[in-house]
Amino acid sequence: MGIPVGMDAAAEPTDVIAAAKGGDLRAFEQLYRQFSPRVFGLCLRLTGQREAAEDCTQESFMSAWRALRGFEQRSRFSTWLHRIAVRTVLARRRGLRVEYEVGEPASGLPEVADPAADGMPLDLERAIAALPEGARHVLVLVGIYGFSHAEAAAALGTAEGTCKAQLHRARGLLAAALGLVEL
Amino acid sequence: MTDSSQKSAPPSLDEQLARLPLDIAPPAQLWPRIAARLTPSPRRSRPVLFAVAAALGCACVASALTWSVLRGRAAPEAPQIARHAPGFDEPRDPHYIAARDSLESAFRQRLALLDPATRVKIESSLAVIRQAHEDIRKALASDPASPVLEQLWQSTWHDELDLYEHVVEATQSTLTRT
Repeated sequence: MGIPVGMDAAAEPTDVIAAAKGGDLRAFEQLYRQFSPRVFGLCLRLTGQREAAEDCTQESFMSAWRALRGFEQRSRFSTWLHRIAVRTVLARRRGLRVEYEVGEPASGLPEVADPAADGMPLDLERAIAALPEGARHVLVLVGIYGFSHAEAAAALGTAEGTCKAQLHRARGLLAAALGLVEL
Repeated sequence: MTDSSQKSAPPSLDEQLARLPLDIAPPAQLWPRIAARLTPSPRRSRPVLFAVAAALGCACVASALTWSVLRGRAAPEAPQIARHAPGFDEPRDPHYIAARDSLESAFRQRLALLDPATRVKIESSLAVIRQAHEDIRKALASDPASPVLEQLWQSTWHDELDLYEHVVEATQSTLTRT
């Protein structure tokens, strides 16, 4: 897995990671402070629900702590952590299918919008949250967080072709929702 | 005026997606919740440590004395307590690791009492368990959210301690016969 677009290539604190691997909880807290906003953003957009995103972020960091000793730095820590987050969301979703589908799709998302961006992203966030789940997952991973199709397919446990089709579908639905003409 | 009078084209979908912030601050209380679950409370960790230490005591000392009296009964508390050890969440806790290493050391001493053929079988079983443990640990590193892998990982700890139990029992029988 490469470095997805948007991932900060310069901010991989190897010494802190090493300390956390050795069981240093304070070092792990530093990692949490640095990486949790990206993980939470990812979880929030994948689930579309704030409470679920909090749970998934919590579970992701707990899983990361448990597995950290086996992290061999073949990939970047951030990449490894984001992969954990995606799998945590998917695992939780499998257990709570009804809750996710019944929930109000846009709930918990207002804080996402960038206030400096003339109000537009909020509509976009809501449109994303209202997408069918499969299309939303691919759009979030590929369209927002810069995963390649291969990486997204691996993370989601689906075929690369399915991933591409879902992205196409998501873009079409989003364009229609926002009144844009998709080229 | 000129700028506002000219209606600019709306940003494309890609442009809009690119403007979205990737980072969203989680609620402030989230880390304390995580930390609370990662930090074993003193009430919990101490008894576990003492339980493992008690297992050591039973395996190394008490059993040698007690078995000569309680001839014919199953090896008592050591394995029973040892089975609880893998249940706690911090297998890399240095206290736990130290206690487990001591327990293994006691097991090694008992192993020496067995005949060579049995010893080879046991060593080979232990190697299989440890290899399984290592394989599962690696799998967990790439898929840490898997509950199945986590369960399997924990079960290898149980298997290892069960093996210790069997050796202790077998050694007890040998001791009581002699």
